[in-house]
Amino acid sequence: MAKIDKSKELDITIPEEFALRDEVRFLKSEDIKLFRLLRESMNKIEPAYVATYPPSECGIATFTKDVVTSVAKYTPFSKPIVVAVRREHEIEPYERIVRFQIYKEQRESYLEAARFLNNSHADIVSVQHEYGIYGGPDGEYILDFLEALEKPAVATLHTVLQNPSPNQKRIVQEIIRLCDVSIVMVRVGRQILLDVYGADPQKVTVIPHGVPNVHRVPAARVKRALGMADNAIISTFGLINRGKGIEYVIQAMPKIVERHPTAIYLVLGETHPGVRKYEGETYRNMLIELVAQLGMEKHVRFNNRFLSLDELVRYLCATDVYVTPYLNKDQITSGTLAYALGCGKAIVSTPYLYAEEVLADGRGLLVDFASPDSIADAIIRILDDPELKESLEAAAYRYGRRAAWFNVAVDYLGLFHRVLNRRRLAKELAESAQSTGKSASK
Amino acid sequence: MEMDLGVDVTMDGNLGIIRLTGELDAYTSSRFKEVMINTLEKGCTNLVVSLADVEYIDSSGLGALVGGLKRVSERSGKLVLVGARPQVRKVFEITGLEKVFPIYRNESEAVESLKRDESQ
Repeated sequence: MAKIDKSKELDITIPEEFALRDEVRFLKSEDIKLFRLLRESMNKIEPAYVATYPPSECGIATFTKDVVTSVAKYTPFSKPIVVAVRREHEIEPYERIVRFQIYKEQRESYLEAARFLNNSHADIVSVQHEYGIYGGPDGEYILDFLEALEKPAVATLHTVLQNPSPNQKRIVQEIIRLCDVSIVMVRVGRQILLDVYGADPQKVTVIPHGVPNVHRVPAARVKRALGMADNAIISTFGLINRGKGIEYVIQAMPKIVERHPTAIYLVLGETHPGVRKYEGETYRNMLIELVAQLGMEKHVRFNNRFLSLDELVRYLCATDVYVTPYLNKDQITSGTLAYALGCGKAIVSTPYLYAEEVLADGRGLLVDFASPDSIADAIIRILDDPELKESLEAAAYRYGRRAAWFNVAVDYLGLFHRVLNRRRLAKELAESAQSTGKSASK
Repeated sequence: MEMDLGVDVTMDGNLGIIRLTGELDAYTSSRFKEVMINTLEKGCTNLVVSLADVEYIDSSGLGALVGGLKRVSERSGKLVLVGARPQVRKVFEITGLEKVFPIYRNESEAVESLKRDESQ
């Protein structure tokens, strides 16, 4: 591999935003008249968020922080609150925005969190739902929180199972009942909620998974900076666990390498902390052994770290083909696939629900589950055909721009406003009906 | 294929018209800010910013507009917007900035309105 030439290193970090919030803060000391005009004119909304939160290393925590940050950029006069869910015996050095902590397995803690938010300045509560992040059987303690919460709430459902157990089904049905609106990230998720869970269509909406705001950089330029100028780069990133199906891409590598001898597969990311706890690095070690058995040591690389966003974007920009070989057909969202779309990558994926929808209309190639041959053929097709590659990249990028976090934040804010307006209207109607009833009874 | 910001400026007396194309976001808003400053330094006091061909705007773009409004106000001028597409218009509605920046359907309406204000 070529030595990295630092002088040619590209700056592809996402630029620090010259944001509205900063501009308003600056005005306060410079132009008090304009500052007052903005304060009076701009919509103020006080959201609170309930979920896991960084430094916890999990996809939901990253997602929550992205929503909180991107919404806050449009609401310079608001003070968001985060209620973070964490394990009792772990110490998490949270940012100051985390104002309350729920101990995952302590049921009372969920009621305390609801009481805390009921007494707070929050107008609306955004709850991230995934069965595993809350305590109790299938994470059912979250229902205690929602029952006790007196503020309007919206839930983002990160897992929507087509064949849920009775308890899993009950929990999601209750979440939909107790929240004003539930959000899913793809249309098929909404359809499942209507068909399988009997959800009220008025209470379910679709907002795409956000992606970082990355402008397209030709892969060749970034590869040069990473010292991989001559390699065809294939990559998969995220928290590694058995459900990722990475072994099937590794098994596809000999066929790919036969056709493209410079091909290299990058497996980026550490083992999922939850998985590491009960089986250590067993899965990763199995993958490493498989690489050795196939003699692919020069063609498969692992980076066993939780990558920063900038690192991730750099590797993604250098990627020729991004692969999500996931094994669970029911998977309704994937942050990593969303990110790859955002970076405008040629994508090969198994047809789990999320991939099937977001890669439709020429935005990616779908391959069979657990099929090294199918994976190899699709990757070779892309590497052989620059026009196909460009067309996949352009289509992915166009889709990704609409899903950039700054657009998704507007969708969330729009929803928050709609929910609050609906509540206000319902309250006014109830009050007017009450006063009409009183005057009629006189 | 890289999304960038196209900027076209025309000046007529104390009126500057800035037409933007593409995306006004964290990558491009500083360039837009520079163009606004240059236009004002060349003697314009009123600005019309056309968003008709802007596909997306983020909080950085809004920040740049607020900065522009501050500079224009210091010169006792006005900054008005033209032709925001639905996705862009939604951003102004959601934030409440539509109450701060008048948005006209087309350039001639915006220019007429500025001239009317000046003659009063």
